[in-house]
Amino acid sequence: MINRRTSLQIALAGVSLAALGVPALAQTGPIKIGFHAPLTGFAAADGKSAQLGAELAVAQANAAGGIGGRKIELDIIDDQGKPEQGVPVANRFISEKYPVVVSGSYSGPTRAAAPVFHGAGVPYISSYAIHPDITRSGNYVFRTSFMGEVQGRAGAKLVGELLGKKNVAVITVNNDFGQALASGFKEAAPKFGVSIIKEYFFGMPDRQFGPLVASVKADNPEAIYASGYFFNAGPLVAQLRGAGITVPIIGQEGYDGQKFIEIAGKAAEGVIITTSLDRDSKAPEAVAFISEFEKANPGVKVDMVAASTHTATRVALEALKKVGIADRAKIREAIAATNLEASTGRISFNKLGEVKKSVQNQIVKDGRWRHHSVIDDPVLLAPPES
Amino acid sequence: MGSYELSLVTLAAIYVMLALSLNLITGFCGQISLGHAAFFGAGAYAAALLTKSGWPLAPALVSGAVLAAAFGFVVGLASLRVRHDFLAITTMGVGFLFIGFVRKQQGLGGELGLSGIPDHGLGPWGLAALTVTLAAATAALSLHIRRVWAGQAFAAIADDEDTARALGIDVMRYKLTAFVLGTALAGLAGGLFAHFTRFIIPDAFGFTVSISILAMVIIGGIGSTWGVLAGAVILTLMPELFRFINDYKLLLYGGLLLLVMRFAPGGLAGGIAALTARLRGAT
Amino acid sequence: MLHVELTIQGLINGSMYALMAVGLTLVYGLLRILHVAHAGLYTLGAYIAVLIANATGSLALGAAVAIPVVGLAGMIVYRLLYEPILHRPPYVALIASIGLFIVMEESYRLIFGPYGETFNAPYLAERVSVGPIGAKAAEVAMVAGAIVLLGVLAFLSKRTRFGIAWRATVTDPAMARAFGVDTIAVRYANFFIASALAASAAVLVAVLNNLVEPTMGSVPSYKTLAIIVLGGLGNVAGTLVAALALGVIEAFGTIYIGHLLDRDAIAFLFLVLVLMIRPQGLFAAR
Repeated sequence: MINRRTSLQIALAGVSLAALGVPALAQTGPIKIGFHAPLTGFAAADGKSAQLGAELAVAQANAAGGIGGRKIELDIIDDQGKPEQGVPVANRFISEKYPVVVSGSYSGPTRAAAPVFHGAGVPYISSYAIHPDITRSGNYVFRTSFMGEVQGRAGAKLVGELLGKKNVAVITVNNDFGQALASGFKEAAPKFGVSIIKEYFFGMPDRQFGPLVASVKADNPEAIYASGYFFNAGPLVAQLRGAGITVPIIGQEGYDGQKFIEIAGKAAEGVIITTSLDRDSKAPEAVAFISEFEKANPGVKVDMVAASTHTATRVALEALKKVGIADRAKIREAIAATNLEASTGRISFNKLGEVKKSVQNQIVKDGRWRHHSVIDDPVLLAPPES
Repeated sequence: MGSYELSLVTLAAIYVMLALSLNLITGFCGQISLGHAAFFGAGAYAAALLTKSGWPLAPALVSGAVLAAAFGFVVGLASLRVRHDFLAITTMGVGFLFIGFVRKQQGLGGELGLSGIPDHGLGPWGLAALTVTLAAATAALSLHIRRVWAGQAFAAIADDEDTARALGIDVMRYKLTAFVLGTALAGLAGGLFAHFTRFIIPDAFGFTVSISILAMVIIGGIGSTWGVLAGAVILTLMPELFRFINDYKLLLYGGLLLLVMRFAPGGLAGGIAALTARLRGAT
Repeated sequence: MLHVELTIQGLINGSMYALMAVGLTLVYGLLRILHVAHAGLYTLGAYIAVLIANATGSLALGAAVAIPVVGLAGMIVYRLLYEPILHRPPYVALIASIGLFIVMEESYRLIFGPYGETFNAPYLAERVSVGPIGAKAAEVAMVAGAIVLLGVLAFLSKRTRFGIAWRATVTDPAMARAFGVDTIAVRYANFFIASALAASAAVLVAVLNNLVEPTMGSVPSYKTLAIIVLGGLGNVAGTLVAALALGVIEAFGTIYIGHLLDRDAIAFLFLVLVLMIRPQGLFAAR
């Protein structure tokens, strides 16, 4: 196995790399599971959080005795957030015969890898990629986070029903996440009496929103629903508030993290988001996750990506604990039957492999994310069954 | 070979086609393009849409190549008007226009891209064999073009367009030929890519991809078919070889570009030529 | 009213583009290099400023260190990277520069982490208004900074011995040498000034966004290339006009056709249209 790969590399590239050695799955050594995340490239910050979340789940499982007395090890691969990396990454993990693989990555690589894993009969769990078709790749594919559309619908309920705001400006980030959120929001908006005054768009690398802010101000909306990640939502919120716009700003899990508050400063106060992690949760799982994560990673605050990846990794490990590592069809069944209290709530899956759980609304108060409300409406939040 | 190795072979062959196709334009004809990924993307989207609507693979791939070539013809016309660094930045603009347009087209899946692209039905061996064959054919075509009269005319244009014109070479015809051929092959590579990943999004055809294709050409040795071929294979497989240093992979890639240009500006081909010349001199 | 605000916001963004692009066009004018790594030096300036400001509590000190240090770094890049390959075809320097840019971005990520740095106490976040028109203080500082710095540059080039030497070297290096101009010193000075301008832009942007990230140079790395081409490659005044024009076009474009094309595509649509009509840019280089 090792020799064959190495010789191929020599043949193709004329480069010899004796240092490369990935031990095949041994019967007595540690149990390895595959994990990929964007450690370099545009999404490196989320990749880092994902890695830390997954590593914590593994460390906790090892501290609790591992699986059948054997330690667990993550085989981590960087996919740079690129879809074309998805296929080789998937094939590489498949050839290592890992019992289960977790994606800590974006939709690009995850969507491309999913059908390959399904085809090879390897259970595959996506932590936070939102592309609607990921789980449609087949029944070996699961997702432990909300689909973008589901979260968008929750956002509409939060704005229209919980906050009672009707005229809303929508600001959408130009990527799959933003598009999915906006489409869910627009779909559910009429149900809650919300009308959309205008939709604006911005790009992933944008940090300056002067023109957009000026135009939103002229629209005079009652609330603003803005998708984005902490690195563009932070400056966006600061600039909206800086322009004297005081109406509620509603975000979602892309904001979720202490960095957003650091960037936006005082402007972050009062921003409400739909997300998966409740900082004020009394649930021992969430409390333990938050404290152990921050203990293991001094200087890094928990965020949604870390929590979601921690959850997905735990779902994988729980299944292995139940049925062992020998039979991947059984592992798949064990995952499908998951009923686990994790840091992001109680996790169970529907027929398609989509998670069923409630949406946690968090608000920024005194520079921290705090509990605001919960949306637990099984009809509104129902992910598609096929 | 397992499916992992086969997927690397397939990916490398696709990048060989891409790099050689750019080499036709940039290496043989001297027209620096910073937007080659747009043609790759045009072919990918066209072929994927067609097989999704029920077309067989072969005509879909050909149609993708034709569409990319039509698009390439238009940009070729622009290259008659805008020259040198102005052309380089114009092609870069074409690349940004392409993905900026595609990401807003709901018919092309918008930001969610096209997923559920049908299985090519060739199996991993079949797809690898097809891409390697087409990459080899592209290399043969490159060598052939280089050899025959047309290649010499291309080279004259690459060296000095005005002199070439004075010599009575029909500069316009050759530039357009280079653009059409090069972009058609990029479109073909795009169709293969779409059926390899079976999922495409606009960002897979962005500026960084254009840069990495150009880097393959220049690291390999601009104008040299064998050099570019080797450059494409090495730069495609490098991330795989350096999996064990995940975190430093891109650093290494940047460092390689920097050091090769600094110490062997002729790329691999130039470096090897210089080395053999020195060895001959020594004996 | 909205249109006035959009124009102002466009000019604010354009000022940032101008500070970045003028340095780039200075390098191009002298050496015919598309200096992509300029954006890496820009990021370096932002990191130095934010780290020093957070350590000492003084943004002024951060800027005062960042600007000359980045200027020196620019000279080092010229000496170690560009000088030995100047006689090569232009794409050699372009790819080398892209390689250096990647190395710089990755180094920042590895050294400072991927999450980015923020100021402990955000600066200039308050709003400044004149009647109904207002802007963030940091935005006003951006425009004022661009006017002052580019004004100083114009003065240097028109009224000083160095400026005369510099312009002579750009026009005809051999002739300049014959008249006793130290053309090598001019090149170093050129890199120093260009890089220092980039660092100034970076400090202002860091304050404006309250965020310094490893990838903050990625958009400027290519957008400024478009601007210097629009401005006629090497034409400083043209670059200034192109930067401001692009800022305003993006401001209106993202609001009115943002659902059809993204911001970059709007900018490059403008670029391609201009070049089809005027292949040498808005203003020909001298």
